[in-house]
Amino acid sequence: MIKKTFIIFLSICLIQFFSNNSYAVEPNEILENQKQEFRARNISKNIRCMICQNQSIDESSAPLAKDLRILIRNKIKDGKKDEEIYKFLTDRYGDFILLKPSFKLNTLALWLLPFVFVLIGIFIVFFHNKKSKKI
Amino acid sequence: MKKKLLIIPPLLFLLILLTFFYLLIIERNPSEIPSNLLDKSVPNFETESLLKKERFISSKEFGKEIMLVNFFATWCLPCRDEHIYIKRFSDEKGIRVIGINYKDNPKKATQWLKDMGNPYSNVPIDKYGKIAIDWGVYGIPETFIISSEGIIKYRHVGSVTKKIYKKINLLIKEIE
Repeated sequence: MIKKTFIIFLSICLIQFFSNNSYAVEPNEILENQKQEFRARNISKNIRCMICQNQSIDESSAPLAKDLRILIRNKIKDGKKDEEIYKFLTDRYGDFILLKPSFKLNTLALWLLPFVFVLIGIFIVFFHNKKSKKI
Repeated sequence: MKKKLLIIPPLLFLLILLTFFYLLIIERNPSEIPSNLLDKSVPNFETESLLKKERFISSKEFGKEIMLVNFFATWCLPCRDEHIYIKRFSDEKGIRVIGINYKDNPKKATQWLKDMGNPYSNVPIDKYGKIAIDWGVYGIPETFIISSEGIIKYRHVGSVTKKIYKKINLLIKEIE
């Protein structure tokens, strides 16, 4: 019984691990050129769906997400570079549209504070140990 | 010395608590995203007009007086709710309002304006939602205040309520 449960549990884990996320890209959106489609998918994964906010436009089935996916593909077909496409989107929707915030002056705290806290933690542990040894 | 240091953690905790409490009680919509176009020029666009025969050319329309831009569609229920206030802007306050018809059926839109009254001085058609993307629109209805220099001064996402109506009027007075 336990063995059976374990096997079921293991298979669920494996399926979850190897299965891809569900994508919202519709067949008629996909570009014929595989290289271009790959680029479009990569960009889409980094772009936040402004309606669902915690999904990328690659996963979202919201109409605006679809519009943006098509827009990205059209820009790639027009020969635009990735950076140009990102700039086009952030010019209109701000940095919020990027799922990964860029490393800028106003996001410095966001990126660096975790390291500062780790350093403080190391310092406290070190300091504390030193004191305990003395006793 | 050690005792004095012990007061720091509870103080920090209190500070964090107060910050969260403050964010809870002030009126804000955490899912509302500030527009990236604030204090920037109106995006240029050219498209068909729902009511007029000649094409809508943005550079000819903006930059003369303070105006409102309202993204709307007949299928959007909150647009119906705010319509009364959009009408008040044009009827009572004499403000020019441009209504951008977002991904809509032109026949339905014309009928809708006939039935509910037309507050718009011009209605450019955004058939595929491309103009909306240029304006950073993510959820209609959205309303923008445009200064007489053609600069975007304010954006409201969602239906214009009584409160927002008053706020927009105040802002317009400030800009004037």
